[in-house]
Amino acid sequence: MSLARRLSAPLAWALLLAALMLLMPLFEEVFRLVAPDTRAVIYQRDSFASLVANHLLLVGVASLCAIVVGMGAAILVTRQWGRDFLPLVSQLASIGQTFPPVAVLALAVPVLGFGSQPTIVALILYGLLPIVRNTLVGIQGIAPGVMESARGMGMSGRQILWQVELPLARPVILAGIRTSVTINIATAAIGSTIGARTLGDPIIAGIVNGNTAFILQGALLIALLALCVDSLFERLQLR
Amino acid sequence: MSPAAAPNPVLLVLTALAASVMLGLPLISVQPNRIMPGEGLTLWALGGPLAVAAVLTLLAALAWLAWRPTRRALATALALVGLCLALLPWGLVAVAAEQIDPDMASARIGLGAGLWALLFVLLLALLELLNRLALGPLPRWGLTLVLALSLFAALAGGGLDSLALMREYHGRSATFHAALRYHLVLVAAVVGISLLLAAALALAMRRWSRLQRGTFSVLSVLQTIPSLALFGLLLAPLAYLAARFTWLGDLGVRGIGWAPALIALVAYSLLPMTRNAYVALDEVAADVTDAARGMGMSPGQVFWQVRLPLALPVMLEGIRITAVQAIGLAAVAALIGAGGLGTFIFQGLGQAAMDLVLLGALPIILIALLVDGAFSALAEQLRRSQGRGDTAHGG
Repeated sequence: MSLARRLSAPLAWALLLAALMLLMPLFEEVFRLVAPDTRAVIYQRDSFASLVANHLLLVGVASLCAIVVGMGAAILVTRQWGRDFLPLVSQLASIGQTFPPVAVLALAVPVLGFGSQPTIVALILYGLLPIVRNTLVGIQGIAPGVMESARGMGMSGRQILWQVELPLARPVILAGIRTSVTINIATAAIGSTIGARTLGDPIIAGIVNGNTAFILQGALLIALLALCVDSLFERLQLR
Repeated sequence: MSPAAAPNPVLLVLTALAASVMLGLPLISVQPNRIMPGEGLTLWALGGPLAVAAVLTLLAALAWLAWRPTRRALATALALVGLCLALLPWGLVAVAAEQIDPDMASARIGLGAGLWALLFVLLLALLELLNRLALGPLPRWGLTLVLALSLFAALAGGGLDSLALMREYHGRSATFHAALRYHLVLVAAVVGISLLLAAALALAMRRWSRLQRGTFSVLSVLQTIPSLALFGLLLAPLAYLAARFTWLGDLGVRGIGWAPALIALVAYSLLPMTRNAYVALDEVAADVTDAARGMGMSPGQVFWQVRLPLALPVMLEGIRITAVQAIGLAAVAALIGAGGLGTFIFQGLGQAAMDLVLLGALPIILIALLVDGAFSALAEQLRRSQGRGDTAHGG
């Protein structure tokens, strides 16, 4: 499959997102239908483009940190000298996923205050769990025979990690990263309630002011953003 | 176990962490009223050198046990850690009695970063010890029960009433109980409805296999859409329907409130529920159903007496995932006026009253953990009894 064909679905979502983000004022009449009684029909406090950019920045920074730390931790505890920590880390990752993301977000505030930073920290903390879990599952799921023959071929520990374990575990790890990013996009939107500037802003403003049009604009953009990113991961996983 | 067991590095690290947390971070804070930030108090400030020496002795004992982790040493360590956890609320009772002047009705004690960190480290140590000792479910649940009873007794005695969290609770106990009940009812309704829908979908997909691909891709796209957005997207059509058909409005269906919450939560629940129901029904080995048919069972009997019981553990897994997910998402639904425990979270965030946030967030986490534990245990139990049944038949 050519690159263009493979990227067609994410590209389509991205184009739709960009079009709606930039051309929202053109649809003023449409949005007036859902909010006939309000004066301002299009959310004006921030440009939609800057909200999308900021939302992506929050999720991007948090996901990157979560990937580095999460994969790092999972790799450390699957080495010979880190094995003692494996059961605890593995259990922690699965128990932690029972915690609702909203609760983690809310609990970050008393410790870190309001704003973007506590949101990022909460996103990292929560985003770690699926990545740790899946990296562990991926590495542990490799057949012992494969590992033995790699060792038998005289590969060093580092070579085994980079040339055997990580490539074989790749699909499972990618699935974990996908889950983590999906949750982060949704949780970042709720970050609006603790003072992060995200696409949740129009929704919260709409709820506070009873303006259905604002809510719809925020909701549409978040949904498109999530679908775009998710379809990108879907394509990555197909490879 | 050999007496020359290698040291347990996990416990040693946790002990060191507990020591630095207890000595370095404020354990509690004393606040004159609800809004004023409190003054953080460390272990040294609370109990002086004597308390520090006692804690260090205890931790040194733990470290020593971790250094020679025979089975008996680990069991002793488990008892020690369990005792620490059980006594934690009573320590708070003592501290509260000493620090809070009973005449000052609005003075309160906030739980400091040190105390939360300590609780976390102790729970990790508990998990590690339970792992190493490979104890079965009975001691685990027994231990949980003891810890819960200790906490409950401390709460019921009234010694913790000057805790900021309890002050917030007593200020709105009726609202809290209503919100708790509402949260649980909403989650139960979501689980019930999605179970019925998922069962219907799974059966339909088994009959018409062409449905399978389309259904699963629609459901997984739904799962991708962030909750806040889905609530928002449902708002306009529901408001329109309620305005158009008055009987819907009379039922309480509105753009905001329980209706969008219920619909969105069911939509999210369908993927895990349907996937598990489908896999569960599909996985029951063909030779088992063949054997059942060979014994002269009718298709209905095969379904109700063979397929369904064997599929139950996997379906329970679906219910567990769905329930845990719905408990968290129902909190978000408070933003669109659906009520429930999330109300306290967002109210607290709005008023910068952190203990009100805790009043919403802690019960949500506890309920999620409890539901998760209960359904896991139930599925495990079912699986085990079926396993035993199989071998009994074989032998």
